[in-house]
Amino acid sequence: MPPSLRRCAGLLALLLVGGCGGGADGPADGRTPVVFWHSFVSSTIPALDSLVARFEAEHPEIDLQPQYVPTGDALVQKLITAVRSNTAPDVSWIHADYLEDLVAADAIYPMAHFIEGSNGMSAEDLADIYPALLTYASYRGTLYSMPMEATNLGLLYNKDLFREVGLDPERPPQTWEELVSYSERLRLDRNGDGRYERIGFMVPVRPGTGPDGPWMVWQFQPFMMQAGTDHLVNEEQTRVLFADEPAVQALSLWERLFDLQNQRGFTNEYQSAFVSGQGAMMLDGPWSLPNYPRLLEGIDWGIAPLPAGPVRPATVVGGEYLAIFRQSAHPEAAWTFVKWVTQPEVQAFWSQRSGYLPIRASVTEVPEYRAYLETNPGLKAFVEQMAVARAQRPIEYSALEIQRELAIAIEQATVGTLDARTALARAAEASNAMLARADRTPPSPAPPETTAVTTARR
Amino acid sequence: MAGVLTGEGQRVSRAAADVVRAEAAAVPVPPAVRRAPGRREGLTAFLFLSPTLLVFGVFVVFPILFSFYLSFQQWNLFADDHAFVGLANYGAVFSDPEFWQVFWNTTVYTVATVPLNMVLALGVAVLLERRVRGKRLLRAAFFTPVVVSSVAAGVIWRWVFDPNLGLANVALTAVGLPAVDWTANAAAAMAALIIVGVWKTFGINMVLFAAGLSAIPSHYYEAAAIDGARSWSQFRHITLPLLAPTTLFVLVLSMIGSFQVFDVVFVLTRGGPLGATKVLVYYLYEHAFKFFDMGYASAVAYLLFAVLFVLTLVQVRAFRNRGAVAV
Repeated sequence: MPPSLRRCAGLLALLLVGGCGGGADGPADGRTPVVFWHSFVSSTIPALDSLVARFEAEHPEIDLQPQYVPTGDALVQKLITAVRSNTAPDVSWIHADYLEDLVAADAIYPMAHFIEGSNGMSAEDLADIYPALLTYASYRGTLYSMPMEATNLGLLYNKDLFREVGLDPERPPQTWEELVSYSERLRLDRNGDGRYERIGFMVPVRPGTGPDGPWMVWQFQPFMMQAGTDHLVNEEQTRVLFADEPAVQALSLWERLFDLQNQRGFTNEYQSAFVSGQGAMMLDGPWSLPNYPRLLEGIDWGIAPLPAGPVRPATVVGGEYLAIFRQSAHPEAAWTFVKWVTQPEVQAFWSQRSGYLPIRASVTEVPEYRAYLETNPGLKAFVEQMAVARAQRPIEYSALEIQRELAIAIEQATVGTLDARTALARAAEASNAMLARADRTPPSPAPPETTAVTTARR
Repeated sequence: MAGVLTGEGQRVSRAAADVVRAEAAAVPVPPAVRRAPGRREGLTAFLFLSPTLLVFGVFVVFPILFSFYLSFQQWNLFADDHAFVGLANYGAVFSDPEFWQVFWNTTVYTVATVPLNMVLALGVAVLLERRVRGKRLLRAAFFTPVVVSSVAAGVIWRWVFDPNLGLANVALTAVGLPAVDWTANAAAAMAALIIVGVWKTFGINMVLFAAGLSAIPSHYYEAAAIDGARSWSQFRHITLPLLAPTTLFVLVLSMIGSFQVFDVVFVLTRGGPLGATKVLVYYLYEHAFKFFDMGYASAVAYLLFAVLFVLTLVQVRAFRNRGAVAV
């Protein structure tokens, strides 16, 4: 080989090998690395930094490494890729919708593995967590993740606009009827062209098959609950419940509000509409609160519980859940973090900084937290609403496809021309067909948990 | 300016065009230097090519073949095993009414976008071929959308088409036209998508056409001018025929590009309203990366490939029959 050629070949070899070196994240300082994937929005990152700092101060032996992954489709795509390529994080945010696939692939530990282990969790601690959250964190009755924070949906409203049209700013709408009549009063069409420059309650309609479809379905849930149906699917997982009367009433309300304010000609950027004073009432969650003093400067805003429906006051509960991956080299260290974050003092600390709600009722008894709520009426409204927050039963088969059918029905009844009943009946028919086709054999033989637990105890 | 066609000018320039065609056909093609390469030389060549071959093989060839294999399998991306299901995926695709809706949407988008795109690209290329002030600046300006990230562009256009906060409706109402429900009206949403699609891609075609134009020898135009051909006749009988290979290339590329449109849809309309702007690749994406039905998604991908393959063949044939392209 001529020398030049040899040099080339050497370079090539270097290129090929170069990519394979390094990467081993050996604990140089003797601390155990725990990689934590999350999708916190940018306004939450400072709060997360302070949480990590507090954890590492209390657990100097662990190096907690938070890594941001975009939410929604991206998170589950990256998790799958990571699991397939053996690079899964130690602990990650997950969503109830992913549990079916994650469990089928045996990618995550059932929580019993740790709860019953040497560094376990007491039954009292577990019982203090809102049961609704544990429902979401489970798949077919087995707990596969732990809630990190709770959320629910409330009503963000603009008190200035209430005053402007002669409504009492301290008396937000209490019933569906008031939601409609307030909206009728707040809507404003300056030039009489049938398009409103300002509306009352903004119905959060998005393209049903688009990336925001599941989000829209979640926002629709409280209205179904207020009318009497908590769940999208029956207990036997054989029939969907969103073509029943309560769901029809809920969607009819959305349809009425949508038409009343001609939202076909209105933006669906809800924060922009609120900030610019073009929308007076919105569905919103506590996660935006840290941003609002700056974003809503100059607006007199408030958070109210959602108006009660024909049956009861209700809101939907949500949250973020942490799962520990089987590929983790340090599952016990990951569990140390998961367990730590559920403690009442940590929950109070986290809630005050992030705006998220505590996952356990007892946190509201922490005096420091009580005092904090008194100075933060927005957060207080969300915390108090937890009393009427309800969980939906997870759909165990074709969850994403069924939610998509419902999302399409919502879009058809509002943007489209179908009436609520017909649209929901169509969606239910398609969904029931999917449930009838579902493969109901258990996913995989239960892993030998007892062995794992005894090993951990020894 | 297209001049008035005189019978005389037309006949003469047609004669000029014949000359052009004859000359074009007579351009000598350099004979390929075919010589059996020595072993060492072959090895050297291979070594130089190997990084490219490796990347091409791993990231292009393998996925293409694997996707074909997957289109006969059922696999959720998570599990270790896939099951052979024969043509079931293809059958399921054909019997899904949504597939036909997205196929129709994609066809509408392509049929509207490609001609608009090409006419605009050629028009601008021809205009900028002349002596224009700030020619380079204009070219750069028209080309900029091509290199702008589609997501950034999509977000900006989403604001432009916002029903009550956007510039589009402000502009329409300012000139006395009624405002449009860009997000709720199916036809308007598709129109918005087409506008953005053309805006985003015609720059690259303009550059291709400009390159094609500059390759046409100026003496044809001089001869035609002496024969009395006006600008339109020159364009019709010299520019267009000599530009045919470029036109074919641009046509095929734009058609493939618009059949594969995804990113702008994902950001701008999100498939709405009521699925009116949902396109094939969006549908494919949804099945692959939302429902994790890789077999089904691969079947859709191969159907898309089949459609594009047939359409491309038809176009190449059509051009060849008109004697414009030596393919």
